[in-house]
Parts: sequence; structure tokens; C-alpha cells
Amino acid sequence: MLLKLNNIFKWVQSGGQRIFLLKDINLELEEGEFISVMGPSGSGKSTLLNVIGMLDDFDEGEYHFLDESVHTLKEKHRAKLYKQYIGFVFQSYHLLDDLTVRENLEMPLLYKNYGSSERKAMAADMLDRFNIVGKKDLFPVQLSGGQQQLVGVARALISNPKLILADEPTGNLNSKQSEEIMELFKQLNTEGVTIIQVTHSEKNAAYGRRIIHLLDGRRV
Amino acid sequence: MLKNYLKIAWRNIWKSKGYSFLNIFGLAIGITCVILILLWVEDEVNFDNVFPKQDLVYYVPTNQTFEGEVYTFYSTPGPLAKDLKDEIPEITRAATTWSGEILLKDGDTGINRRGTYVDPDFLDIFSLPFLEGDAQTALNRPDAIVLTKKTSNALFGENSNALNRMVQINGKHNFTVTGIVQDLPQNVTFGFEWLLPIKSFGLGEDDISWAKEYGNNFADTFVELAPDSDFETVDTKVRAMIPSKMSGGNETPNQAFLHSIKDWHLRSDFSEGKIVGGQITFVRLVAFIALIILLIACINFMNLATARSEKRANEVGVRKVLGSSKKGLVYQFMVEALIMASISALLSIVLLLLLLPSFNILVEKQIELQLWDSIHILSLLGITLLCGLLAGWYPALYLSSFRPAQVLKGVRRKQGSATIIRKGLVITQFVVSLVLIISSIIVYQQVQHVRARNVGYEKGKLINISVNGNMIEKFNSIKDDMIASGTIEDIALTNTTMLSSGNNGAGLSWQGGMDTDDVLVRFRYVSPSFFNTVGLEILEGHGFNENISVDSTNILITQSFAELMGSGSAIGKTVMRNDINYNVIGVVNDYLYGDMYGNGKTGPVMFYNEPDYGNTLYVKLDPEVSTTETLNSIEGILKEYNPGFPFEYRFENDLFNARFKTEVLVGELSRIFSILAIIISCLGLFGLAAYTSEQRSKEIGVRKVLGSSISGIIQLLTKDFMRLVFVAILIAIPMAWWVMQNWLESFAYRIEINWWVFLIAGIAAVSIALLTVSFQAIKAAIANPVNSLRSE
Repeated sequence: MLLKLNNIFKWVQSGGQRIFLLKDINLELEEGEFISVMGPSGSGKSTLLNVIGMLDDFDEGEYHFLDESVHTLKEKHRAKLYKQYIGFVFQSYHLLDDLTVRENLEMPLLYKNYGSSERKAMAADMLDRFNIVGKKDLFPVQLSGGQQQLVGVARALISNPKLILADEPTGNLNSKQSEEIMELFKQLNTEGVTIIQVTHSEKNAAYGRRIIHLLDGRRV
Repeated sequence: MLKNYLKIAWRNIWKSKGYSFLNIFGLAIGITCVILILLWVEDEVNFDNVFPKQDLVYYVPTNQTFEGEVYTFYSTPGPLAKDLKDEIPEITRAATTWSGEILLKDGDTGINRRGTYVDPDFLDIFSLPFLEGDAQTALNRPDAIVLTKKTSNALFGENSNALNRMVQINGKHNFTVTGIVQDLPQNVTFGFEWLLPIKSFGLGEDDISWAKEYGNNFADTFVELAPDSDFETVDTKVRAMIPSKMSGGNETPNQAFLHSIKDWHLRSDFSEGKIVGGQITFVRLVAFIALIILLIACINFMNLATARSEKRANEVGVRKVLGSSKKGLVYQFMVEALIMASISALLSIVLLLLLLPSFNILVEKQIELQLWDSIHILSLLGITLLCGLLAGWYPALYLSSFRPAQVLKGVRRKQGSATIIRKGLVITQFVVSLVLIISSIIVYQQVQHVRARNVGYEKGKLINISVNGNMIEKFNSIKDDMIASGTIEDIALTNTTMLSSGNNGAGLSWQGGMDTDDVLVRFRYVSPSFFNTVGLEILEGHGFNENISVDSTNILITQSFAELMGSGSAIGKTVMRNDINYNVIGVVNDYLYGDMYGNGKTGPVMFYNEPDYGNTLYVKLDPEVSTTETLNSIEGILKEYNPGFPFEYRFENDLFNARFKTEVLVGELSRIFSILAIIISCLGLFGLAAYTSEQRSKEIGVRKVLGSSISGIIQLLTKDFMRLVFVAILIAIPMAWWVMQNWLESFAYRIEINWWVFLIAGIAAVSIALLTVSFQAIKAAIANPVNSLRSE
């Protein structure tokens, strides 16, 4: 069991009223799974992803990740956990514009205190794997959307996470680029990486083995 | 990790070159100012530091009581020093000294220099370093003279061996150079260019027994104490000295006391015989101003840095997701701030090198940058570190507290508290600027007011020439020649320049006066042509006779003296001084001397017909003749009578203006600081404007889409800032009024504060602020709304 969510609630107070972002969410995930989360805008998909990725907290319920009770952990411990096991892929890539492709790739390793030569080696491997060696000294503004997302995925993968969380990874890409990224995800999953993706597109959702639907913060 | 920080920091700085430059430059200006001010303060505090025996050297002033009030004079009796040394065991060395200006001549080269007649102990008290000659014996012979290196160079030329050469003093006596001392730095209280033995004081005069009596004060006395002596004990003994030497008399005897060398420059204001402060207040104020400027510059730096923070929020979010700790982010922003602060520091060093010469001229000092001085280097590093940390800390904390989830979604944090702080800062900066602007206007007005004051005589037409050579003996011939030349109206001799308070005395009595013993009366020894030359009007009676023996017991007095003589005309009444009765033959109007800011009620003055005592020649110019022609003519005539003497003159008006040096300096400094404050305030306002328009870009986009005009947007944005400026004006006006009213009250003769000064300052502030803000406002208003409304 990679992770388990029990009765997760998350709300915000708005002038005396409680507005639920997540309502009684239950979810179990095994290692090696590939699931898609679907739902209309405002249904809480991204919120759910953020909660799973420990970027956001919740108000009620339990969250177990690899036998750790995340809801009881301190901020520092939680950060360590997600740093080690989870990689994020965003819809708008969120690369650092002042860094080259290679430096962007090295970022997670920097924060894990890898040595300089190690970082270089691992980044070189990743560049090879994704066939973007020639682009290593370019800045994100010099790449196309698809290439940037590629770098984003590579960055998420570089420290060998157990779980990849992808928030509408193909949202800003055209059909051809989308297909390339989804094929990549499929292959990664075959190699053993667990993937949770949030998507609008039925076509993309089909890549996953399970589909979870959300509506108004609840699972339907 | 550090390399990564440095790389990112540099790239960020380079990316927004405009803002970065503005920020760095603003901080550099602040640092430069602060350092200039601190250098000035250092020079002031180090006054007289060149003399090693800081704990042992004292000056001896005297407290004298007149009409119930105690005045402190820098003047002691001639025999005091010797008696102090002989009778008080703790006093190991003492020197009687007298300073004045003499003419030094070597062959044809003649120069006028100020210097001091001293006891040989003087050389040891001040541990003067001798470049040539021997300090132990230099002043032993009565015809010895010691020169500073600068004076020796001026007289004998550079690189010439001056030892044992001859110098002619005042055209009469020959002295031998027995020593050359190192030049004194500019920051000493009692400077000199030459030293003569006190034994040769009064050489050529018949009777100087007055200099050896306790009833006459004329000398500057210095003493040195033994290392372990108790100050209180010695001071008490010193105070008892003069009373023990003067017997009887109704008046309170004078009291000599000890004034430490450490206090000569900064603590020499006396009231009722005690130190009440002095220059130190001014120095502290200036140091405080430096601190304020540094604070404002730092805060500005911080402000501008955070103004761009929104753009960095995204980066912060990503980094956090990628695993950065909060500490790591804080470090990163600190490094950025420190890099910018370091660049500012380097820039400020360049600015300092460029500005120091002009600054020295302004404050009349000889300050050197001396970067290798450890205090200087440490201060610079300290300031840089302080700025960097101060500036980096706030944005670091502010940014690193963002929650990554919100930031990545593009949700903007509502920054209520931060904006309030920012607004508060802008208001503070504008208040400071306004107070400075108002102050500089008022100070300028006050100085102009006093300069234009009617002083009671025609100073605008007077030239002041120091008497030398045979000017006194040949005065009448010189007078005839000059008047014959047709370039001047009149010339006269006097022993006291018009501006000076001059000699005074008490213990006189006169008809119609009661309790006259305590009244301080001033004496002037003049030639008969004096009143016409300087332009004093004879209100009653008549002036002196050309034949001075006629006036051997006649005097003229000023109007305020006449008023002390009761009702009726003062003409014919008598004044008794030193057992001689003098007849009043004329009354002249009062004139302003001493404190130029006084209320015009100057004390009584009496004039004697004694041109032989004169030391100043006054020449009244003819306004019809060009000044150059007049000066040439005067020079020609004087050179005829005194070929060996240099022709040196001063315009009385210039001497008058020189009295206001401090106030003029205060005025100029206010002006400079107000310009600086405005620049810094505008930088602050600019930063705030940039920040706000970025924050509100979406709102502006929406408004434009809904139909708002560009001018409508501009009005919207500037309205808020103008409100801040108005608040600043409201705070600044009473503050400035209070400060200036206090400053003005220290002058008896002063202006009233006009309301339109505040109006001008307010308008100036508003216009400048408007200009600064409009740039940002216009840029935001003409931006394409599509860009700001694009969804993420």
C-alpha cells in the first residue's frame, strides 16, 4: 500500500459559512498503479492532488503514506517525505526561467545535497534518456511548450520518486505533444513508477488503469 | 549551494537592470552621505588629538563677574602660569602665551602670519615634534624663533636649511631660527605658524609692566598636570590662586579654572562659569542625521526589493515544491541583497573619491578617505553588511512564507500589513524631505535678514588693512597722499576692528550714574578722522581735534552710554577711569559689534583720541571710483612708505559675512540634505508605485475592459499616492515650524516665519511626487488588458 486517504475533509470559512473543497474522500493506492482523476472545474481535483503531495493540508481525516501518518507529522518531516518520494509535474511546467535546462534538472538534487559531480552525472543521464542533450544549455523561454513539459517531467523524475503527481500535464500542449507526453507516462508506469494524473480529457484519462470522478469535492 | 545562489542572484540582478541600478544607486548615495558625515564627525571628535598628553593638558580660562552675571573669558594675568607651577606641586609645567599676527621678513620676502609668544614649557606640554633644531633649547635665547615647516617654506623656499637663519620681525627686530616644527593638522584649537619666547613679548614698547600684574588679563595660560594627580584637588587650588594674589576690592575676584584639552573643541560653551555644552551638541545632531539617512536608504533598498516580489513568488513556490527548505530560500534572498549592497558599497567608494574635495571646501576641513584605516574599513563593511541583511531579511521572510500550493495556482496573498508599512515609510521619507526643504528656506531667509542688517556704520565702503611698518608714524602723510589721489574719501586708525568687541573694563564711574562699578565699558583708541571714515554719526557735540594734545582728557561716547548718565545732554559730563576725569565732548550713534545676532543693545563704548595705539587702518572708498583703481592707488602709496611690506587688505563686508559662516554652512547643508532626501523619497515612492501597479494590474485590466479611460486609470493610481503626500505635509508643517522656531529663538535679531514658505514646500513636494508616480501610472494605464487578464 503506497498511500491511503480516510475520510479526508477540507474546507474554507467564508463569512460564517463553511465551503467544502474536499468532502469525505477515501482513496487507496498501491505501488505501480496509474490512476486518473477527472471532474468539472471546481470539483477539487487539484486540491486533492496537493493534499496527496503534501503541499497543502486538510482539516479532518487521516492520510497514511508508506505507513507514515502524514496528518501527525511536523512540517519538516512532511517536507522530507515528499522530497524523497514524490515528484510533481505542473500544467504550466513551472520551470525556473533564469536557469538552463540542465540547471533546472539539477534543482531537486541540489536540495537533496548531492555533490556537484553526482548531480552533473544524473542530469546527463536524464538528458540522454529524454533525448534533449542538445538543449541542455538553453533557457526555458527558448523551448517549445512540449519541450518545456518534457523538461518538467524529467525534473520530476530525476531523484527517482516512487510517485508522480501530474496536474493537467498536457493542458497547454497541442495534440501531438500531448500524445508524446502520455506515451512517456505509460512507459514510466511500465517501469514501475506510480502515477496519479488530473485531467479533463477522456482520451488522456484512458491511459490510466482506474478513473476517479470528483464532483463538488466528493467522490462520485 | 552558495555558487547556485550567487548565479541566480547575479542573473536576477541583470534581468531587471533598470530596477537593480536604481536600487543600487539609491543605496550608494545613502552610504556615501553617511560616510561623509561620519568622516566629518571623526574630524571634529579628533580635534587636538595630535597632542599625546590628552589626560594631562589643560587650558586656564577665567570666570569674571559683572553686574551679577558670570562671564567666562579666555584671558588670564601674565604672572599666573609661573605662580601655578611654583605653588601647586601637581602642576609640572605651565606656559604663559599670547597670540597675534606679525610680519616675518627675509630679505625681500615678507609674509604676515599668526603665531604665539610662549614659555619654553609650551614645547613640552604639547610634545611638539621638531624637524630641525632641539626642543630642549630652542626657545632659551631671547632672540630665538621657531617656525612651522610650512612657514619656513614660505619664507625661505622649500628644501632650504632654515636653521640659524635670520628673520626680521615687524620690520624692526632680528631673530634667529632655532627650530622647525612639524606642521599642525587643521583640526587643532590653538594653532600657530611661529613661536617666539614670551620674554620677547612687548619688545620695543616702553612699559609692559601691566603684563606682569594680576589686575590685567591678556594671556592664554596652559598647564600640564602630573600623571596621577586628582583633578578636583588641583582645580580647587587653581581657583584659589587669583583671589589670593589680589587684595581688597568690592568686586567678586576672578577665578581661574582648568579646561581639559579633550573639551576644547566640543565643550567650550560656558554659562555662569560652568560648561553647558558646545559644539558637541551640533556634532551629535549631525551624527544622528547620518543615522536617519542610513536608515532611510536601507529601508528604501528593502522596499524596492520587495516591490518586485510578486514576480519571484512563482519561483519561490517551485523551489519549495522541489524541496527547498524555508531557510534555504531565506539564504538565497539574503545573498542577493548582500551582493547588491556590496556593489553599492563599491560604487560609494568611487563617489566618495569624487566628492571629498568639494566636501572639504564646503566644511573647510582637510579630511582624507584613508581606506586602509581599520576603523574605516570595518565601518564600511559593517554598513554594507547591515544594509544587506536589513534589506534581505524582510523580503526573504515575506516571500519564503508563501504556501506553494497557493502561489502556483496564481492566488495572490493579501498583503495588508506589508502595504501599511510601505506607506508609512513613504510618508516618513516625505516628512523628512519637507522638514528639510522648509528649514533650508527659513535658514536662508534668516541669514539674508541678518546680513542686510543696519549695523550703524558704513561697512560697505570700508577696507581693513593691518597696520605694519611705519604706517602709524607716517599716518598723516599717508592720509594726505591718499586723499590727494582722489580715489578715497577718508582714512583712519583704530585699535579695534569694527566687528570686534575689543578691550573693556569695569570700575569706572560717571556723573548721573549709580552702581557703575560693575558696568562693562568698551574702549576704543582712534584717530580724529575715525568717525567720518567708518560712518558713525555724531549726534551731539563734535569730534576730536587734529591736534591730539587738545583731547588728552576728552572722549566721545555712544548713545547707550549717554543714556546711562541720566537726563539732560551728556555733553560736558565727566567719566572717571583709573583716577582720571574725562570730558564728554560728543555722542555718536550705537553700532553693532560682537554678536551679530544681538538685539542691538550693545554696551557703552568710549573713544579716545589716540591714533598711536592703532593696529588697523580703515580706508573709506569713494563709490565713484572703481575698486581696482582705488586698490592700486592705495597699494602704491603704502609701498612708497613701506617698501618691504606685503600689501594685504580685506573688505569689511567680507569680514562681516565671515561671521555667519556657521549659519551659512547650516543653510547649505540643509539644502544639500533636502535634495538628497527628496531623491531618496522619490526612490521610495517609485518603488511603492511599481509594486502597487503590479499588484493591481488585473484590476486595471478589468476596469479598462469595462470602459475606463486612460486618464481615469491614471487618476485612480495617483490619487492614493497623493493622499500619502498630503498626510506627510500635514505632519511636516508643525514639525518644521517647531524646529525652526526653536532655532530662531537663539538669535535676538531674527525673522518671523511666513506661511508662504510652507506653501512653497508643499507645492514642491506634491509636484515632484506626481512626476515620480505618473511614470508608473501611465505605464500601467496604457498596458494591454489582455496581458493582465490572461488566465494561467
